[in-house]
Amino acid sequence: MTEALKVTGLSHSFGDLEVLKDLDITVQKGEFVSIVGPSGSGKSTLFHLVGGVHTPTAGAIEINGQKAKRGLIGYMPQQPALMPWRTIEKNVVLAQEIKGKADIAAAREWLSKVGLDGFADKYPHQLSGGMQQRVAFLRALLSDQELLCLDEPFSALDAMTRLEMHRWLLDIWEANRRAVLFVTHNIEEALLLSDTVYVFSSRPATVIEKVTVPFGRPRRDDVVDDPDFVKLRRRLTDLLTGSPR
Amino acid sequence: MTSVKRALPPAITVLLLIAGWQLYTTLSGIDTWLLPSPSDILTAAADQREALARHTLATAELTLYGFGAGVATGLFVAVVLHLLPGVRVAIYPLLVISQNVPTIAIAPLLVVWLGFGIAPKLVVIILVCFFPVAVATLDGLGRSDALIADYMLMSGANRRQLFTKLQWPHALPTMFSGLKIAATYSVLGAIIAEWLGSDKGIGQYMIIQKSAFRADRLFVAIAIVVILALVVFGLVVLLEKLTVKGRRRD
Ligand SMILES: Nc1ncnc2c1ncn2[C@@H]1O[C@H](COP(=O)(O)OP(=O)(O)OP(=O)(O)O)[C@@H](O)[C@H]1O
Ligand SMILES: [Mg+2]
Repeated sequence: MTEALKVTGLSHSFGDLEVLKDLDITVQKGEFVSIVGPSGSGKSTLFHLVGGVHTPTAGAIEINGQKAKRGLIGYMPQQPALMPWRTIEKNVVLAQEIKGKADIAAAREWLSKVGLDGFADKYPHQLSGGMQQRVAFLRALLSDQELLCLDEPFSALDAMTRLEMHRWLLDIWEANRRAVLFVTHNIEEALLLSDTVYVFSSRPATVIEKVTVPFGRPRRDDVVDDPDFVKLRRRLTDLLTGSPR
Repeated sequence: MTSVKRALPPAITVLLLIAGWQLYTTLSGIDTWLLPSPSDILTAAADQREALARHTLATAELTLYGFGAGVATGLFVAVVLHLLPGVRVAIYPLLVISQNVPTIAIAPLLVVWLGFGIAPKLVVIILVCFFPVAVATLDGLGRSDALIADYMLMSGANRRQLFTKLQWPHALPTMFSGLKIAATYSVLGAIIAEWLGSDKGIGQYMIIQKSAFRADRLFVAIAIVVILALVVFGLVVLLEKLTVKGRRRD
């Protein structure tokens, strides 16, 4: 069986700046994989390589058995990057439009599913930050790619909204299993959402730990109080901050 | 409502100025050929209304053709220079330098080359109009959001889609600021073009009235030029309101 994403021996530099070093990462079909790493370690750069806007200095990236190139992933950038002159529904269908045919009806249906009915004809500046991120997420989801790459989708949100969005994302994902590669600074978020968590070192990023998350699905928010969860979170926090155990 | 409120103070200022002017000319008894009073000017306008209508129509027509051609040229230059960076570095600096050549100075040459028909007149207007449009549009095309561009590329967008879906819509507001400048220039260009030699138009009318020392009629002509410029400007603003969507208006 081919993997949704297979990264082998991946290194990347911008000129003299070494950003990624010898990464091996695998995302199976239908698997939710997170990457946690310090700021500036090169997580967004990894996405740009997977999405084909940069060519890696060394190593290989395969998406569903195909060599990585543009147009193979559903991508949600770190900032929502919505077009201010397009209405919300027109923003949602952008990726579809690029690929060929936009399905406005489906976009409207999804907008109401994510609590944005009544906003289809509004413009991005009329939405809150959290709403804009939901729009950017839908745009990635409706691109209908097997692999979704989400770059810190919830980093701009307050704790309350973030919890809500976790619930929301898990619901959608459990109903529409896709392979997901999810970047975050937040260890708890990574453990709550993922099947597998990769921990990155600071720049140049290497994988310092690959954790298989031992909690079942569907997962409830209260898993964070489970003693095993607390222990795991402690261990990853120590790894990331470099403090001794 | 608020626009009415905002228009009120300048309107009052204009009325006061005109009243002061009328008062001054009446009290001082200054010669009409030197400084006509507002009422003299109104009388002149009424006397001349048929001739004025004909000349205004001619100038309006010339302005619109010239403006259209100038804008088309400006957009064409902007798009070509944007899509071909090699051409851009070779031509853009020259284009900027060329703007130091006053159009009035080369206008007689255009007459020598192109005769007295509509061609040299259109070229004069194109020369004054295309530059602000080209520069503003080029600037807007080059400054689109890099994050959205990355997003589109990763989603598989090609260069054509990048242009039509991102760069062009992004450039629209900047393009319109260029269009507004060009709108005012276009009327100016038309008047200069008519000074060069024409059998009709407000510019030609001004030349004749100047020789006759008819300051009153010259004032009427100036008022018409201002109104024409405002109308073209207003048309551009209207078009902008219809096409530029979804931005915070502040
Ligand atoms: N196009 C580029 N050219 C040169 N350097 C770059 C480029 N993109 C990123 N970098 C550098 O690569 C490093 C990693 O950046 P990246 O955005 O991948 O970090 P990150 O892990 O996503 O950080 P954060 O968590 O803050 O988003 C940074 O030092 C950044 O300055
Ligand atoms: Mg990043």
